Amino acid sequence: MIKIQNLKKSFRTEEVETLALNDVNLNVASGEFVAIMGPSGCGKSTLLNIIGMLDNPTEGSYKFSDHEVGGLKERQRTELRKGNLGFVFQSFNLIDELTVYENVELPLIYLKMNKSERKQKVMAVLERMKIAHREKHFPQQLSGGQQQRVAISRAVVTNPKLILADEPTGNLDSKNGIEVMNLLTELNQEGTTIVMVTHSDRDSHYAHRIVNLFDGQIVTESQNRAMEARV
Amino acid sequence: MLKNYIKIAWRNLWKSKGYSFLNIFGLAIGITCASLILLWVEDELSFNTNFQNQDLIYYLPTNQQYEGEWRTFYQSTPGPLAEAMKKEIPGIIGSSRSMGNQLLFTIDEKAIGRYGRFADPDFLSIFDLSFIEGNTKDAFKEVDAIVISKKTATALYGQGTSVLGKVIRVNNDTNYTISGVFKDLPNNVSYGFDWVAPFERFAADKDWMKEYGNNFSDTFVELSAEADFQVVDAKVRKMLPEKTEHEETYAFLHAMKDWHLRSNFEGGKNVGGQITYVRLFTLIAIIILVIACINFMNLSTARSERRANEVGVRKVLGSDKRKLISQFMTEAIITATLATLVSIILLWILVPQFNILVDKQLVLRLFNREHLVPLMAITIVCGLLAGWYPAFYLSSFKPVDVLKGTSVKQGGASLIRKGLVITQFTVSIVFIISTIIVYQQIKHVKDRDMGYSRELLVRMPVNGDVIKNFVPIKQDMIASGAIENVALNNSRILSGGNNGSGLQWQGGTDTEDVLISFRFVSSNFLETAGMEIVEGRGFSNSIAKDSTNTIITESFAKLMGQGSAVGKTITRGEIYTVIGVVKDFLYGDMYGTSDPVMFFNYNDYARYMYVKMKSDVAIDKTLAAMENVMKTHNPAFPFEFEFVDDAFNARFKSEKLVGNLSWIFALLTIIISCLGLFGLAAYTAEQRRKEIGVRKVLGSSVLGIVTLLSKDFVRLVLIALMLAGPLAWWVMRNWLQSFAYRIEINWWVFAIAGMVAICIALLTVSFQAVKAALSNPVKSLRTE
Repeated sequence: MIKIQNLKKSFRTEEVETLALNDVNLNVASGEFVAIMGPSGCGKSTLLNIIGMLDNPTEGSYKFSDHEVGGLKERQRTELRKGNLGFVFQSFNLIDELTVYENVELPLIYLKMNKSERKQKVMAVLERMKIAHREKHFPQQLSGGQQQRVAISRAVVTNPKLILADEPTGNLDSKNGIEVMNLLTELNQEGTTIVMVTHSDRDSHYAHRIVNLFDGQIVTESQNRAMEARV
Repeated sequence: MLKNYIKIAWRNLWKSKGYSFLNIFGLAIGITCASLILLWVEDELSFNTNFQNQDLIYYLPTNQQYEGEWRTFYQSTPGPLAEAMKKEIPGIIGSSRSMGNQLLFTIDEKAIGRYGRFADPDFLSIFDLSFIEGNTKDAFKEVDAIVISKKTATALYGQGTSVLGKVIRVNNDTNYTISGVFKDLPNNVSYGFDWVAPFERFAADKDWMKEYGNNFSDTFVELSAEADFQVVDAKVRKMLPEKTEHEETYAFLHAMKDWHLRSNFEGGKNVGGQITYVRLFTLIAIIILVIACINFMNLSTARSERRANEVGVRKVLGSDKRKLISQFMTEAIITATLATLVSIILLWILVPQFNILVDKQLVLRLFNREHLVPLMAITIVCGLLAGWYPAFYLSSFKPVDVLKGTSVKQGGASLIRKGLVITQFTVSIVFIISTIIVYQQIKHVKDRDMGYSRELLVRMPVNGDVIKNFVPIKQDMIASGAIENVALNNSRILSGGNNGSGLQWQGGTDTEDVLISFRFVSSNFLETAGMEIVEGRGFSNSIAKDSTNTIITESFAKLMGQGSAVGKTITRGEIYTVIGVVKDFLYGDMYGTSDPVMFFNYNDYARYMYVKMKSDVAIDKTLAAMENVMKTHNPAFPFEFEFVDDAFNARFKSEKLVGNLSWIFALLTIIISCLGLFGLAAYTAEQRRKEIGVRKVLGSSVLGIVTLLSKDFVRLVLIALMLAGPLAWWVMRNWLQSFAYRIEINWWVFAIAGMVAICIALLTVSFQAVKAALSNPVKSLRTE
């Protein structure tokens, strides 16, 4: 599903050029659950943003389902992203002025889906995430765990092929964190590909494969024994 | 999608009520102000547009040359001109002489005065009067005919009575038969009238009106639709010189559409007029709207961080830039719509007040297309204008940046914000300076030494038996103890009146074409008006004795050469001997210099009676005494009077209007600018909460923090002052150029305007700054 070859990303400020990603090669197969780990500033979020088509690589090739993404214009990236990708963020990034229902509905509106279909899909996903009883609440009236479940609902409501999670448990306590990881695992088992950036060893053990990044380069890749054992 | 936009816009407005209030209220003030100005402009532009043939109707002013200079006069065509033009110039299909007059209509006990016009029959078709009773063709068939307006008919005979053929007593000495009732004219006409009566009868006993030598009448003409204006005008210009064999006076066509807007002439050429103010105010309306929109831009971009997250999320979820732009535009238009609703309420309250200020009867007709469409257009333009910058700014946020929580860099935006604040204050300061200068100029002219005293001087119309009973009227008034003096004059003291040239005098060389004004007064007029005799004596109380004597003004005496003018003679038909010289006095153009004047001691031409009240008697008592005397000696006519001071003040209507409006514009732009500044200051204080907390913990005083926060804003106002100074100087210098008698612009005006602007800005900003400085640092530091 994802083929990344010789990818480079550099940021240029007035005088210094920083190489955030240096010659990264990474393939992710359909149905995989990959965790990207590494210390702060190693480039993991930059990599995730490029995979998520929020950012363009400076050099190299990134193919998403055989489409070359590097070098696409913003509008073209938006088109490709719509419906294919779901995002889950550390800080949830819900829109405060919209209710739970409206937040989850938003990607469907951008897909120009009609109202009744939207309603059916939103309610189905809210039921599944056990948050349907909160549909009329605003994000700030919910606990962190609940907010992240809404965010996951919003990420999966379009049935995306790929979910990108950026430290999804970073703002949650351990109980809620485990719950969120279980949800992601469940989605993965149903066939959704997941790429997750994390600091947490515990969370990384849910993944099939762990990619370690250091100073913009992949240093090690390891199959997750524990996971294999569990499967 | 739109529903989603509206929903989120509404919730955003509701969530930050304070900012929403500043935004909506600021815009509402701008829209209200612009609407008021546009109502005024609409009224100005609509003058005379009610007349069907407005493009074919012309008035005839005359250009006359004196001392090598062309001057333009109204009411200055000779009687025979109208008829001759219609006869001899092809293309002129209607023409009429006309003179305005106040008549007293009496029915039984009821007596009402109405202004109207004596005119020829063509007048009725030129002005396209629509008759409710009678018709244009037959109206002036009889010589004693008169047509009156609907409201005059109602005032005289009550509602719903047919008045055709009724005989009415006019000025207590003549009978007229009503031959028609016409629909009331609207307010916005240059020549209004409530009655029209045949000129023929009015001129019957006045042979001088039938010669070419006397210029006294208004003349109106109507051209045929096919006529070529240039050709007709050229012929009109030739006509008077041909008829009079006198090259120095000619009449010309002045189009109806220019009567109101372009009525100023200089050197015989049209130099605009009211149109200048129409243009100026339209420009100001636009400026004020822009100022109001600037607030919206500033507050929206300043607070963009709150929306940055939303922008990021929407982009991640599949919205592109275009959709976000239309979302933010929608929000701006919603805000503008709310502002318009508020301003409709404000207009509803303010239009009557505004009417008093501008002396008009403006009405906001919301359900009328002519007002609804512009108001909607203003709303949308405001929305778009206010919304485009925030929309482009906000929608350009990169999701990668904003979602990571790194704060949005506001470098460019904050620079633009500063620029916008400077713009607002520049305009405000220009208005403040203009206001001061306009009021200075008005005061300057009002304080001008006029050569007579306006104080407690009252003018009354001369009608009925006033001239006949002048001696007992005067005696009784003075005997009442409330009146100092009473006198007659054929002209208003403030206005030009009779004049002429071609006089001859002793000691003069080559001065025959000087225009001299003539005043026919009773013997004690000079004392009554408080004029100062510098040489010789005033008229004696015996008219017979002074019938061939004259008193002249100083400027006239100067024309008569070296030495005293007293004893010299002036020939104006007869020979008059100068017995006194009086100080020059000001009449006509209050900004100019008045022509030399020659006074004659002659009561019978009198049209006005001047009464000087005593200052130690209460005015209402004096007026009661005067009324009492008039009831005795002129019982048929109602007691009417006007203070010369009021008439004088009325002369400055358009200057006063500019002054008042300028003052209001200044106030409003300052209020709008301060609303914006208040919001920005609040935002800055909020932005720097943590910094303020840290500084306080480290020992900064409250004053230190207030200074820290206020400094930047004051700097902006100072820059605005630098820009506004030269701009205001240039604008006001141009304005002042249009007055001959004018002030010099003083540097301290700029200093005051600057001080005012800085104080107001400081007051606005420091409120927020003090609030921030007084807050508990523990609180602001904990929130991180």
